[in-house]
Amino acid sequence: MSVSASPRSAETARREKRVTGTAVQAVAVLTGWGEGIGALPPDAAGAAAGRAIIPLGRPALEGERFRRATRECLLGVAAVDALLRENHVSRDVVKGSSTALIYVTGGAYGASNHAWVAADTARAAESDTRAGDKRRGAVAGTLHFPYTAPSVMSGEVAIEFGLTGPYGILIGGAAATIDALWQATLLLQAGRCERALVLAVETFEDCAELYARARWLVGRPLVEAAACALLVPGTLRTRYDAPRAASPLETRARARAGETLACAPLIALALGREHAASGSIGVTGEWRGRRAGLYWH
Amino acid sequence: MPGVTRLRAEPVSLVAAGAVTPFGGDVDAFWSGLVTGGDAISMIERFPVDDLRVGRGGEIKKLRPLPGARRVRCRATQLLLAAAEDLLARSAISAAPERIAVVLGTALGGVGELERAMAPGGRVRHAVDALYDSPAHALARRLGARGPVMTVGAACAAGASALGTGADLLRADVVDVVVAGGYDALCRFVMRGFDALRSLTRERVRPFDKRRSGLLLGEAAGLVLMTREGATTGPRLGRLLGHASASDGSHVAAPDANGRGLELAIRSALDEAGLTPADVEFVSAHGTGTLVNDRIEADVLRRVLGRRAPETPVNSIKASIGHTMGAAAALEAVMCLMAGREGVVPQTLGLEEPDPACELDHVIGSPRAARPRISLSTSLGFGGCNAALVLEAVDR
Repeated sequence: MSVSASPRSAETARREKRVTGTAVQAVAVLTGWGEGIGALPPDAAGAAAGRAIIPLGRPALEGERFRRATRECLLGVAAVDALLRENHVSRDVVKGSSTALIYVTGGAYGASNHAWVAADTARAAESDTRAGDKRRGAVAGTLHFPYTAPSVMSGEVAIEFGLTGPYGILIGGAAATIDALWQATLLLQAGRCERALVLAVETFEDCAELYARARWLVGRPLVEAAACALLVPGTLRTRYDAPRAASPLETRARARAGETLACAPLIALALGREHAASGSIGVTGEWRGRRAGLYWH
Repeated sequence: MPGVTRLRAEPVSLVAAGAVTPFGGDVDAFWSGLVTGGDAISMIERFPVDDLRVGRGGEIKKLRPLPGARRVRCRATQLLLAAAEDLLARSAISAAPERIAVVLGTALGGVGELERAMAPGGRVRHAVDALYDSPAHALARRLGARGPVMTVGAACAAGASALGTGADLLRADVVDVVVAGGYDALCRFVMRGFDALRSLTRERVRPFDKRRSGLLLGEAAGLVLMTREGATTGPRLGRLLGHASASDGSHVAAPDANGRGLELAIRSALDEAGLTPADVEFVSAHGTGTLVNDRIEADVLRRVLGRRAPETPVNSIKASIGHTMGAAAALEAVMCLMAGREGVVPQTLGLEEPDPACELDHVIGSPRAARPRISLSTSLGFGGCNAALVLEAVDR
């Protein structure tokens, strides 16, 4: 057989609209400092007053479905909810297969991992006198295990908002979020979605002793955060590259928010949008020695 | 989707592959194990499993010593580096370091290191190796790659999305070479998890069979070297024509009852490839051997393939090596291309009495002589992840 493109009717082609650019329509930010960029202090290090971690509480979301969900899942839901609420976007608009969800985190899955390993350690320390099948496999927190997969975090968000379109799940710090934003622009330009949510969540408190030993990898103060950006078709072209230096926005976001890993570029976007009337904006992010940048112009 | 244009994507070349699987330390061992009907499932020996309901899986018993590998503690990284050695033995990477990307899919990264770090006497600093993106950075260092280093965390569908992301990087001219694939290592962490969920079978893995009762896990790493079409003049394995993903948005640990996400992913991948279901000559199914997954997947494949369903060969290799999680889709992509090149489709081990609810043209009993040029590979994962790849094999 020969491999050839399936025929497209001229009528279909006329009806369809070519997406040439993208735009950031909205950004929402939740951090240990509070909701929105207005809650960020001018100097995170000073405001932390020596605290290593600035925690973000478990959102008080209602519903039986959320009873077992982990804090990081709820933070993701809360960030998307804040984005829709603050920008008067109906849930019906994002529901369905036309919305892509790109989730990124450096280590929010760590809390679930820590709990899962700790459960095994605790069980091993106990004498288990049950016999046979009752003993075998009877593990504390069985339903917790799926949450060790980062995809379950974005899965909870997809369930809550009825998102059934393309997804991306990237693991890493700020550079991975730049990659996620780039992926979102690709999906839009390729016509694979009509809008894209880029969501980042970072929690640290549950693994505080582990992060305390990883000072070479992460800065201080560690500020828990959840942030979400909504990207749509627009007129701005994007450039994705590997800059040598941090952009002014990256520096400003770190100074004001502290170390938020994957959330940092979205916080930078929110800060930049305060002043970028034309929509032109560029964000950068670094992780493990690699810096990436994405620029709308 | 109304309102926007779907652009047919440029194909990308898959130049060479490297693998380490329970069958052995290279792609040749993987392929010969499949076509000879090998069964690489065994009792797990590397960590304690005696308190679990099921202690079997596709464990790699022996890894070839690697240059500098004594310093590598993390099992997942060891598997990746071993697969990279196999890849590099088959094809050199010639590009500027900043034009080489590494894109890897994984379900659990180096999480075994967290168990070691939290064990009595463990060192907390080892926990950094447990970050899910640590093995990808280790591989990038080994390859001297200084372009994007991405880790796709889409659970058991991650390998497919990694290949797709690699293709996107090439199409967008971000890099010239991508080393993409997937990996996961067996450890107590993941064995306990699937055991507790009662997903593991005490019997044989039997994808699509009446008697199927669950899956078994395996460990592996599979890598492919990708370039833009026309960038290589030498031999190659084949081409990636299309890829797509879709969320179920219905359950965190079970597929959508109607397989809507999987169907959308398959149709979108074919659309991107500029092909129709009638063009598909072979399907590498996710086929885990679990009751629900196999039925839903078979339903979706019948819907998508339509009249061609009874004559389109379908297989699953998970009974042979276990469900290798992040590595699964990458290895299955390699298998698709090898099938097209070698003119033989490996059988679905363990499938003896097909479940009528899973009726398809299963490859049963022995390998089938066929030379599928266009293959479809499907993957599902926790969180409602569904991904599909459309591949084209090339002749030797």
